[in-house]
Amino acid sequence: MEQTNPLRPDGESKGGVLAHLERLETQMSKSCKQSEEPQSVQAQEGALGTKIHKLRRLRDELRAAVRHRQASVKASIANVEPNLAVEMSEQEVLEEKLENVKAVLQAYRFTGLSGKLTSRGVCVCISTAFEGTLLDSYFVDLVIQKPLQIHHHSVPVFIPLEEIAAKYLQTNIQHFLFSLCEYLNAYSGRKYQADRLQSDFAALLTGPLQRNPLCNLLSFTYKLDPGGQSFPFCARLLYKDLTATLPTDVTVTYQGVEPLSTSWEEQRASHETLFCTKPLHQVFASFARKGEKLDMSLVS
Amino acid sequence: MDTELAEVRALQAEIAALRRACEDQPAPWEEKSGVQKSFQAIQQFSSEGWKSSKDLKSQLGHLESELSFLSTLTGINIRNYSKQTEDLTGTEMTEKSIRKVLQRHRLSGNCHMVTFQLEFQILEIQNKERLSSAVTDLNIIMEPTECSELSEFVSRAEERKDLFMFFRSLHFFVEWFEYRKRTFEHFKEKYPEAVHLSEGPSSPSMVIRSASQPGFELVIVWRIQIDEDGKVFPKLDLLTKVPQRALELDKNRAIETAPLSFRTLLGVLGIEAALESLIKSLCAEQNG
Repeated sequence: MEQTNPLRPDGESKGGVLAHLERLETQMSKSCKQSEEPQSVQAQEGALGTKIHKLRRLRDELRAAVRHRQASVKASIANVEPNLAVEMSEQEVLEEKLENVKAVLQAYRFTGLSGKLTSRGVCVCISTAFEGTLLDSYFVDLVIQKPLQIHHHSVPVFIPLEEIAAKYLQTNIQHFLFSLCEYLNAYSGRKYQADRLQSDFAALLTGPLQRNPLCNLLSFTYKLDPGGQSFPFCARLLYKDLTATLPTDVTVTYQGVEPLSTSWEEQRASHETLFCTKPLHQVFASFARKGEKLDMSLVS
Repeated sequence: MDTELAEVRALQAEIAALRRACEDQPAPWEEKSGVQKSFQAIQQFSSEGWKSSKDLKSQLGHLESELSFLSTLTGINIRNYSKQTEDLTGTEMTEKSIRKVLQRHRLSGNCHMVTFQLEFQILEIQNKERLSSAVTDLNIIMEPTECSELSEFVSRAEERKDLFMFFRSLHFFVEWFEYRKRTFEHFKEKYPEAVHLSEGPSSPSMVIRSASQPGFELVIVWRIQIDEDGKVFPKLDLLTKVPQRALELDKNRAIETAPLSFRTLLGVLGIEAALESLIKSLCAEQNG
């Protein structure tokens, strides 16, 4: 019997192994046929023993062949993997960088100004806030061309956008945006104060709050003791400086017929000062607290 | 005999199975299923990977230019940002359809030579009518810490929880700071003997001396102030150091009124021209 090595390299192996197996099989079947011929029992036993021997050898060779093929498959996959590992980690690095950049872009809204590049230029987003409360955002879509143009925007019509643009847009975009930021933040802040007054302190108002869209002219009547007998005060707040959230002119008048007593006159004057120096809703919050104190004193 | 026959049959069966296994398992270079499928999958992944890697690179480039624009616009360079969200909605609140969420933000970066690290919390309350968002806590760490004007401003921003004011004022403060530094450096270069900067170009004051007139000194103190509303403005003052004898001779009280005159001069000429005229006046002999 030839001792051919079934594990010949590469392309020949398939033919090699199978061919070898076929040869062995042929030999087996031959020896089987031979063993089928009538023989003495002893001769048969001997033949059977040899057959088993040969079969065992064939089986072992086949097992080895299968194992070898498994091993070489694993090896070739392993050859591919290292390169894959390098490519993937480059991708992972890029992905991580991308995530970081996206996060930082998100964070810019906390500076009050953020934006996105567009095909034509840039769309800037202005965020507003008042004393820690985050309020509305507005956007301005700029088209980069000569001259620089505002394509569209969400700035309310009563904000002097054209004026500000005429002053700064062509010479200094930053100045234009910062100036617009000032106006929008101030407007947001005034609006917020008026809204809070209406929603939180309606009990102290004796009539509706009158306001203009720009929220720089407010007029209302209020009473410190809602159930009480005194006449209400009438307040008029004018915010001449559109970049400010506190009024420039305040008048508090008394609506009664009889002249005010000294203590009431003092109160009226102090209210005028309060409205000039503190945000509207905070002034009313202090009124409400004082009212509570008064009640407590009545009880005791 | 029987056992041997049984063994023969078993061996033959095993051999048949092994032969099948040999045929089924393709060599790696063969175009068959199993390994090739996974191999193809790997190939596809890597080619898609290259495609998306190109996409990633162009996406990254686009976003980085967006970032550079924002950084130039706001004057603020944010390097890192992270956020955590905590849902504080209790069962009672869910019944009334109120939702409460606490966000914890952390960001760090720099504005020229000033680096900052902010940690703040935003509480979001959503009820049927509206969504309200408020900053509930603000902590700011800044370096360098020596600037006293800055530290006062930082505490005010923290108290008011005013993020926007913090960033905007920081930007303008740094702009003024850099301008002051450039101006002082310029004069030091132009008049090296006359001009003295005690703490280097970043110092808040500039001293003008003339070698030919010892005992006379003009000190220009240039402070950068941030007011209650976060508005940044420069405040320049002139201090004079004059020998006693000169004071006695000064009938017109020019020295006494110098600080006031300086303010007027500033208003008329602007900072640079005013400073230059002061230097020239003291060093007139040297330059003449």
